[in-house]
Parts: sequence; structure tokens; C-alpha cells
Amino acid sequence: MQTFTMVLEEIWTSLFMWFFYALIPCLLTDEVAILPAPQNLSVLSTNMKHLLMWSPVIVPGETVYYSVEYQGEYESLYASHIWIPSSWCSLTEGPECDVTDDITATVPYNLRVRATLGSQTSAWSILKHPFNRNSTILTPPGMEITKDGFHLVIELDDLGPQFEFLVAYWRREPGAEEHVKMVRSGGIPVHLETMEPGAAYCVKAQAFVKAIGRYSAFSQTECVEVQGEAIPLVLALFAFVGFMLILVVVPLFVWKMGRLLQYSCCPVVVLPDTLKITNSPQKLISCRREEVDACATAVMSPEELLRAWIS
Amino acid sequence: MKLHCVSLWLLGTILMLCSVDNHGLRRCLISTDMHHIEESFQEIKRAIQAKDTFPNVTILSTLETLQIIKPLDVCCVTKNLLAFYVDRVFKDHQEPNPKILRKISSIANSFLYMQKTLRQCQEQRQCHCRQEATNVTRVIHDNYDQLEVRSAAIKSLGELDIFLAWIAKNHEVTSSA
Repeated sequence: MQTFTMVLEEIWTSLFMWFFYALIPCLLTDEVAILPAPQNLSVLSTNMKHLLMWSPVIVPGETVYYSVEYQGEYESLYASHIWIPSSWCSLTEGPECDVTDDITATVPYNLRVRATLGSQTSAWSILKHPFNRNSTILTPPGMEITKDGFHLVIELDDLGPQFEFLVAYWRREPGAEEHVKMVRSGGIPVHLETMEPGAAYCVKAQAFVKAIGRYSAFSQTECVEVQGEAIPLVLALFAFVGFMLILVVVPLFVWKMGRLLQYSCCPVVVLPDTLKITNSPQKLISCRREEVDACATAVMSPEELLRAWIS
Repeated sequence: MKLHCVSLWLLGTILMLCSVDNHGLRRCLISTDMHHIEESFQEIKRAIQAKDTFPNVTILSTLETLQIIKPLDVCCVTKNLLAFYVDRVFKDHQEPNPKILRKISSIANSFLYMQKTLRQCQEQRQCHCRQEATNVTRVIHDNYDQLEVRSAAIKSLGELDIFLAWIAKNHEVTSSA
């Protein structure tokens, strides 16, 4: 019996000592818990820019760094052990990471983050629902409509190489046809149409991302008007009428003046045939006054008459 | 006269079906960003092709010489070759360099997306595999099997530009670029 109690005592002492030794490290070291993993992971994606965000791990007086890794659907299906370090976020300070350059295919991506402080690292915290970039929020594109003289010019925001734009424009009048133009990239002024004076033109645009096959909503319609320039029109009318008048009047005037000059300078006098004197006048007047009767009564034969007349 | 009309009608129908089929297939991959995939590959091409230890052998040779893959076989061959890369080549290749790994991952995931897009189109249109298309695929697999796995994988990766160019040509996805 005594032996039994002695053995029990020894066991109890050993146990006590064991617990004591086990607790020493805890008592001696500072109260630093294992570094907690970042929480509340989410992705905010707008216009194909993807931002992974999380709640920061707060350690008073210390700067915590974060590392991000990703895994595409291919890796999760065929090589689930492979996680690829994010291009920009190996040991980043802020509680967010731009993963745009990592999400390069339109498939679901797994994302994970862990915190690092000195030699300590937290556990990995994984995004709850894999992120697919086709869920990005596409906003209507910002556009600037300008008039360059009579030219309708549009400049759209530069949203990157993945964006194309569909621009619709029309004359603001009933039954007007809507024209559509594809603009390959933003940031460059593009000529749409040469406007007619006095007409109003309206424009709206939407973005298209080929990689995900989605369109944004249309932007607000913007209209511009070109002043109808009335004065030059009247002038043009007058000029036209005047020109036509000149075209008619001047040749008439010239012709008239010509004729005047002709009559005043170089008149052409044309004698009638009966007054033409081809010979000496004495021969014709062969009868003197006293011989008038004789002349009157003398009957000449036609041949003599003709001869006399010709001579 | 009637026979003449009937045969013309048949010919017209066949031509129409062919063009519809091809046009539809082109629309299948039209939203894929081929330009990005080509860019990714260009960045790692030299490094990959430098590791190729059998420069005198090709695996995808049939594609270059086979401009003779007929339009009717394009869908099947595309489907099979995408599966070849996704199921075999990318899996068999272990890439230690993180920069190259990043690009290969980008291409692999893009191929996965293309497979999904192609499958959707298949549900609407037939993507029959005729004997000729199956033969082409088998030849490529046989070429692959003749080499040691790692060499075969690296070589196939190096020949990605051939495959990408073939896709672009047959699916006219870069027509709007």
C-alpha cells in the first residue's frame, strides 16, 4: 500500500514538473500570438483593372508586409500545388494589390494573401469565390466632343489596349439616319463627320472589351450645333445674280459700242446700183435740152438702146 | 433541264452550308484575345526554343505542310490540338523560372478559355471529326510519344507559334486588329 501511494506521488510530481517546464517558454516570452492571416478578401474590378483588397493586419508599432499569389483555372485543375507569385505584390505594404497583370485569361482565378512581419508569416488567406475578369464593371466611356470648323471630332478616354469603342452619331432631325463608327483606341481625336451649317449633331459612345465579349452602357448623348452663317449666304446670292447680269449685259454693251464705233469711225456707204456711174457722164446725157423732143421721139431699137446704155 | 436545276440547287445548298459553318466557327473564337497570347509567347520564345535538344525534329510539322486541312476539319483539329496542349504539353512541362512560368500559365489559361468557347459553339453546330482530322491529330500525338516526355513537352512549347499562327489564319480572329 505504501509503495502504491509513493508511486502515485512520484507520478503526480513528474506530471507537475512536466507542466511547469512546458509553461516556462510561455511565461518567459512576450505575448506575441501567431501572426493572423488577412481577412475579408475581395476583388474590386472596374474597366478591366482588378484590385484585390483585404483587411489589414494590425500590429502596433510594426509595419506588416503582404504577399499575394494566384492560380488560374488551369493550375487548379491540372497542377493544384502551383501558386504563382503576383507580378507586383511580393511584400507589399498596403492592404491591396493590383492584380491586373496577373489575371490574363477569362477564366476563374484563385487568389491568396498572407502577412509577413520579420521572420514571422501568417497562414494563407484565400479569396472565397474565384474571380473571373468577365465580371468586371464596365462604365460608359468619357468622351469629349469638339468642333474643328465644320468637323465633328470625338476624343474618348484611353482605357487601355483591351478597349474598343462604338460611336453612334446622327443629325438631330426627325427620320435622320444613325451612323456607327468603330474607334480602335481612346486618347486620340477622331473625325466623325463634316457638319452642315445650321444643323445639330448628336453623339453617344460605348466601350467594348473583346477579351470578355462585353459592351458597356452608352454614355450620355452630347449634341453640338454649327451656326448657320446667314450673311455670307445672302452675299453669295447677290454675287450670283450680279455675275449672271454681268454675263448678259457686258457682251451686249460691248456689241453696241462696237457698232457705234463702227458707224462713227468707219462708215460704209453703199450706193444703189442705179446711181453707179461706170462711164463718163456726157455719153449718157447725149441729149441736150433743145433736142429733148428729138430724144423723146426718137425710137431706138433695143440693141441700139442697150449699146447706148452700156457705152 | 430539271436534273440540271436540281444539281445546281444541291451545289448551292452545300456551298451555303459550308460558308455558314465556317463563318460560325470564326465567330466562335472571335472574342479571344489572340494578340495577347501571341505577345506572351514572343516574350518566352527564345528561352523555350533554346532548351530544345532535338532541333531537327518537329511535332507540329503536319500543320505547316497541311495548309491542306480543309475548312470542314478546322473545328475538330483546333479542338484536338487545344486538348493536346492542355492535357499533355503544359502538364508534362515543369518550369522552374517564375517569369517563364507566368507566361506559360497565361497561355494555358487562355487555351482553357478557348476550349470552353469552342465547346459552346459545338453545342450549336456540329464539330464532326472526320478521318482526316483524326489522322492529323494522331500523327502529332505519335510524334510527341517518340520523344522523351520532357524533351517532347519543351519542343511542343517551342512550336506554339506555329499553332497560334494556324489558329489566327483559320479562325480570322485577328481580322479586326
